[in-house]
Order: sequence, then C-alpha cells, then structure tokens
Amino acid sequence: MKPKIIIGAIVVVGFIIFGSYSFMQSNVEYTDVAGAIAKHKKVQLKGAWNKAKESSYDAKSSQFTFWLTDDAGRECKVVLDGAAPNNFELATSVVAKGRYTDEGYFHATEVLTKCPSKYEAQPSELKKTS
Amino acid sequence: MIGSILVKAAFAACLLSVVSYFQYHRKGRQLYLTAGRTAYFVTVATVFATAGYFLSLILTHQFQYTYVWEYSSRELSTPLLVSTFYAGQEGSFMLWTLYLSVIGIFLVLHSRSKGYEPEVMTFYGLIELALLTMLIVKNPFLLVWESWPGQVTAGFAPTNGRGLNPLLQNYWMVIHPQVLFSGFSSMSVPYAYAMAALLKRDYRNWIRPATPWLVLGATILGTGIMMGGFWAYETLGWGGYWGWDPVENSSLVPWLFCVASIHTTLSQRKSGGFLRTNLVLAIMCFVMVLYSTFLTRSGVLGETSVHSFVDPGMWAYWLLIALIVVFAGLSAVLLWKRWKDVPRPPETFRQSFYTREMALFIGAGALVIAALLITAGTSSPIITDILHGKKSAVDTSYYVTTIVPLAIFIALLTGVGQLLWWNRANGAEFWKTLRAPGLLAVGTTLVLVFVRVSEPMVALFVFAAAFALFANIQVGIKIARGNPKFAGGSVAHIGLAVMFLGFVASAKYDRKETIALAQGKPVHSALGYTLTYTGYKPIDKERYAFQVDVEHGAQRYTVAPIMYYTSYNDALMRNPDIANMYTKDFYLAPLSLEQKSDSAGEQTVELKRGESKMVDDLKITFVDFDFPVMEKAAMLEGKEVRIGAKLLVKEGSGKERPVTPAKVIKSGEQRDEPVKLGDAWELSIAALHPDREAKENSRVDIGVRNLKAAQTDAAGQGDVLMAEASVKPFINLVWSGVIIVLVGFLVTIVRRGQEAALPAGVQAAEEP
Repeated sequence: MKPKIIIGAIVVVGFIIFGSYSFMQSNVEYTDVAGAIAKHKKVQLKGAWNKAKESSYDAKSSQFTFWLTDDAGRECKVVLDGAAPNNFELATSVVAKGRYTDEGYFHATEVLTKCPSKYEAQPSELKKTS
Repeated sequence: MIGSILVKAAFAACLLSVVSYFQYHRKGRQLYLTAGRTAYFVTVATVFATAGYFLSLILTHQFQYTYVWEYSSRELSTPLLVSTFYAGQEGSFMLWTLYLSVIGIFLVLHSRSKGYEPEVMTFYGLIELALLTMLIVKNPFLLVWESWPGQVTAGFAPTNGRGLNPLLQNYWMVIHPQVLFSGFSSMSVPYAYAMAALLKRDYRNWIRPATPWLVLGATILGTGIMMGGFWAYETLGWGGYWGWDPVENSSLVPWLFCVASIHTTLSQRKSGGFLRTNLVLAIMCFVMVLYSTFLTRSGVLGETSVHSFVDPGMWAYWLLIALIVVFAGLSAVLLWKRWKDVPRPPETFRQSFYTREMALFIGAGALVIAALLITAGTSSPIITDILHGKKSAVDTSYYVTTIVPLAIFIALLTGVGQLLWWNRANGAEFWKTLRAPGLLAVGTTLVLVFVRVSEPMVALFVFAAAFALFANIQVGIKIARGNPKFAGGSVAHIGLAVMFLGFVASAKYDRKETIALAQGKPVHSALGYTLTYTGYKPIDKERYAFQVDVEHGAQRYTVAPIMYYTSYNDALMRNPDIANMYTKDFYLAPLSLEQKSDSAGEQTVELKRGESKMVDDLKITFVDFDFPVMEKAAMLEGKEVRIGAKLLVKEGSGKERPVTPAKVIKSGEQRDEPVKLGDAWELSIAALHPDREAKENSRVDIGVRNLKAAQTDAAGQGDVLMAEASVKPFINLVWSGVIIVLVGFLVTIVRRGQEAALPAGVQAAEEP
C-alpha cells in the first residue's frame, strides 16, 4: 500500500506544480489603456471599438487598424496582425491581446470580440416593436 | 398566471415525491412508496403541461410575455420559432427540466425492477426539485409589465417580438441544445444511483443498472460537444472546431469525468475493485455539471470570455451557488459517513492490479487530471479574483501545454491497456503483442517526420496516436471474432486515435492567408489555389451569397460564403463556406466587400425620404420608393419585381429634373436599371435599406458614377471581396474519429443494457 500512496502523491503534486506553473505563465493581465502604456509587456487590453474613428484593413501588411476606447474613456490606436475579427461590428466590447509599442500604438496579435449570446432587452425597445 | 401556477404545482408535487420516497426508505410503509411514485408522475405530467403551455405561448406569438417578446418574432420559421423555447436562460432551464422528466419516467420503471426505486428517486427528484426552484426564481412566464413595473402599462401587448439573434438562426440551434440538455439530464442518473448505493449501503450492485446510463450520458453529451464544434466551424466561422471557450469546456469536463468512471466501473464489475473511486466519480460527473452551469450561467466569468455571460440577477446567482453547495455537500457528508463501511477489494483484485486494473486506473486518473486542469483554466477569473482581486482569463495556450502531454499519455495507455486487458499477458507474451502495433506506429511516425513533422512533441503525439490506433485494431479484430458486442471499447479507442491524428493535422498544419478578390479576376496561388470571385446573389430577404470559384489542379469547386447586414443588432453577419476534398478542407471566411466605386469614379450616397445630398456639383433628392402595390403582389408570387427610387436631380445651376433608377429582382438574380444624365453621370441603386418597423427610417444608397472619370480609369471595376482562406488538412479525421468513438459507445450501451436487464445475481458473460 505504501509505495502506491507515495507514487500517487508524487504524481498529484507534480501535476499541481505543472498546472499552476502553466496557469501563471499563460495568465495575461487585463488592463486599460493607461495600464498597457505603463507596463509595456503582453497584456489584454479591454475596451470598446470606437466606431466614430476610422478603421481600415491594409491588404499589403495584412493588418487591421482601429481605435479602442477603454472604460476610463481613454483612446488608443490598435494594430492587429490579420483581418478584423469575425463579428467585430457586433461586439459590445473587445479585448486586444498584445503589447504597447514605442511607436505609440497597441500591437495586437489577437482580438477577441465579446459577442452577446443574448442582448439585454430594454423596456424602451418595446415601443419599437409595437 | 397559468404558467407560474403550473411551475409551483410541479414544485409541490416533486417535493412531496422526494419526501415520500425518502420516508419509504426509512419506514418501509407501502403508502409512502405509492405516494412517492404517484407524486413523481404528477410532477412529470405538470412539467409536460408547463412546457406545452410555454410552447403554445411562443407559437401563438403572445408577446405580452417578456420571454416570448425577447426571443421570438413573427418572421421566424416554425423550427426556429420552436427553438426560441430554449434561446434564453429561463427556457433552457425548462428544457433541462423537461428532459429530466422524460428520463425520469424510464428511471422509475428501471430502478423499480432493480429494487432501487425509493433511494434513486429520492435523489433524482431532488435534482428535479432544484431545477424547478430555478424556474420559480427565473420565471419564464413573466409579463412585460411585471418585468419592468412602472415603465410598461399593464395589459400592453407588443405586436411583434425582438426576434432571435441571427447567430442562433441556424438548424444547429434546433438540435444542439436539445442534445446537450438531454446529456446533462442523463448524467443525473449515475449520480442518483451512487447516492442510493451509499444510502442503502449496497456498494457493489448499483454499478450494473447505472452503467448503461453512464455510457448513454457520455454518448449524448459527446454528440452534443461534437455538434457544438461543428456549428462553430461550419457556420459561425470561428475558423476552428474547438477554442477552449468556457462554454465548450463546461460540457467537456463532465464528459471527461463520465468517461473516467466508465473505465473504473469496468473493473468493479469484473473484479470488485475501485468501489470508492466509482462512487466518487459518479458523483463528480453530476457535481461538475452543476459547477459548469454555475460558471456559464452566473455571470461570474464576466468580461473574460468571447461569450457574453448575462448576469441572471442576485437570486439566481446565489441559487446556483446553493445548488453546488447542497449537492456537493450532501454527497460529501454521505461519502464521509460510509467511507469506512465500503468493503475492501477482494484478494484476487489485488493480485491482478499490477497487470491490467492499473492501466484502467491510471487512464481514468489521467482523464480526471485533464478535467481538473481544464476546470482550473476555466475558473481562472474566479481564482485570479481571489488571489489578486482582479479577474483575468488564461490564454488558450494554457490548455494546449497542459492537455497535450496528457493526451499523448492517454493515447499510449489505450494501446497498452487494451493489450493487457484482453491478453492477460505476462512478461514475455505481453512484449510480443506490443511488437506489431509498436513497429507500425514507429513506421507511420517516421514517414510523417520525413514528409512534414519536425517538432519532437508533435512527432511523439503522432506516434502515440498511431500506436493506439494499431494496438486497438489488433485487439478489436480479435474480440470481434469472438463477440462483436464486446468490441465497444476497442472501437471507441480506435476513434480516439483517429481523432487525435486529425487534431494534429488540422490544428498544427493548417495554413491561412488573407486575400483580396477583385470581381472576375482570378487570384493565383492563394495557398496553391486559384480563386475567382464571380459576384453575389441574394439567398433570401437579407442574406447574400458571395460566389468564389476555387481551382486546384484539375479540381473545381464553388464556395459561397454568406455575408449580410442584420438590423437585429446593426451588424454584419458572416458565414464561411467550405469545399470538402476528402484529405482537406478549403475554408473561406468572408471579411468584407470593398466596393471599388471611388477609383471607378463612382460614389455612393445614402438618403432617407426627402433628404438631399451633394455629389460634386450634383444635388440629389430622394423623393420616395417606386414600388407599386402590383409589384408587391408579383414579389410574393416570385415573379420579376422592379423597385425604383424616385429622385430629383439638379446639376450645377441647371433645372431640377426627376429620374428613377431601378433594380429588377427575379428569382434571386438582380439587375440594375441605371439612369444616365447626359454623357457625364449615371445614377443607379447601390442598395436598398427598407426598415419594416419604422418606414421613415427606410434608406436607399444611390450610386453616382462619373462616366468621364470611369473611362479614364478603366482598370478599376467591380467589387473586391476580402476573405480569409485556410486549408485544414485531414479535418475529416476529426469528425470521423468522433463518430467512431460514438459508435463504440453505442455498442457498449447495447451490451451493458442487456447485462443490466439480467436478474440480479446472474453473472453476465465477461471477457476472458
């Protein structure tokens, strides 16, 4: 019985260490524009797409550029490697994963769009449908 | 009113059933048993009535009910209208309750014949009671004026609903949630049996009636997971079939626990081992269903996922937590009390442990560890919130780094384990059986390394999967010659190996490229394919299919991804299209349509009725649509329809004059009827934006083309379709692998079902 328990304990402890190490490694902090500029390392920048400002896709460099406004209202230019993510227009908020560069924009490797599986209904909409 | 009363009546009947069944367990008086059973059937009947009433409200468009208004509309087709039943949280809890009731009917009869009825139905009824409580808290029968008191006058009935989210308007919506919730419901059965076993102190025999349900749960939930992946891949355009999203993970974790317990229960039936492990695992299957429900329904993940998790309100939040505490707590207390009472495994089990039981145990252990790692990753926002006071999610790389090594290990184990299990091998003979599959796997890996694979980890994964494949084929053939019904395990393992090979090929070696496709101009060598965008066609009122010819050597395909603008949420919807070529998928996801009007001297102006805009020195006023009633009738009959836009145009200081450019639509094809102004300008309808709800918001896009400028810029013509093309090699292996796994499960259900039907005490036919 004893060696079984010891081996089991080693395996379990090993996996806890391995799991928590990977967990810490891949946990990328959420932050706002001010935080992204201050940290200068890989973060997840949360905000909403600023539809008032121009957004464009450059076919040559395969980069999509748009402006993001965070919850504090601060704006930031985001350059994404790749095309606009699917359902970009639909997103209530977006999360850009990447780092803030010295050139003064946020260079994203990935942009997640938060697509409402459901939209909160507002009573004001009742009138629209009546 | 009726709906809320029905829910409360079902709750009362269910409570009575649980109490009576439990009293029968304690006192053994026949009256309690009759009461428990009758009350349960009353519960089921009331749940059916509730669901039927709810469905009738949806089908008859009773928009004074908030739920009906929020998720459905008059425009939806009947299947989609039915699917709005479970489009929201309240309705999906009702669907779950409904499936629980359907399964409950069979369970009463099944557990009665096994002598488990009072105990099993006590716990099963408790689960149903929990869901009914949820339906009381999140009442699907609220009226609009009850949802927003003070803001909506009582008795107000909207004439139409908000409609179903276009992302969900798909045939998968009709079937996928149903499969998922029936899977969740079947997971409750092994839980009820395990708890009943603890209550009855009958730790050995519960396994036999519980196993078919366990395998059934794994089959149904597995089907649901696959459908979800296929939905994401084929329609939603997520690019892949799996994204480690909380919603996906939350169905995978209970499934992993379920599969783990299928393995360890095998040993209990055969050699009387793992009695405690089996109790814990069967309980965990259901507790993980509850925990997953909490993660995806409570809003606790908040802002950290692709999905938006709606905050269900304080009451529902605490109720979800209470459910976990109650069911996990109850199980923990019962396990604690009975732990010492569970008999030790017989001596024969201990002797055989190191040969074959161990492989099962380690395999199940690896599955549980994988499930726990995934749970930890999914719970990351909660963990980081506790540790740092700030929510953050793990990157999907976390799942890859932690799960891939486990997957390699599991693949190797399925091969070794099957050989051990079926061959009762001792030393030398065991190594002999390993030789053939081992050599074949090494060969396969070497070939693939030579062709493509360069990373050691990937090569290892390929080797493990190939070994699992050949070893299980070897064993499977041998078993099938004896009794095909016993081959379920081998078949499922073969499917797993095929699936793993598919994962490596399609996820590791997919290639992607963003391309710009000018209409009519072939683009060569996009990933080795020649693509030509030939134009778009309307499919129905709002959707357009963008047709692209794909050429690859002698093969020709036409793919037609879909893009359309939806007024539901003012967004552009995109659906990819796939050319399936047996060895790979060519996947084209549309991004946007760039109208190259500027370079061709064409500009577009958007106008409402009565509005005027300037284009260079041209003043354009949109008077009204030219769409006679007769044309409406023609449209309904599918005949040719002409829609015009009455305009007033004034050039410079000249006279204002009326013109009417038009669009002619016939059976899906569109034709423009532009109007020329002298030899300088041409006006056409670029797009129509009718607004059915508010006529004054209807708009028209007028294309204004400067003919002189167009002549000088002959090159720029036609639209440009932006799309992302990707090639997913051997993705068919993923789908066929999953299907083989499910077939293996089905074979096992048949076998274990027949076994469970045997009278207690009769030993079933077993493997050698």
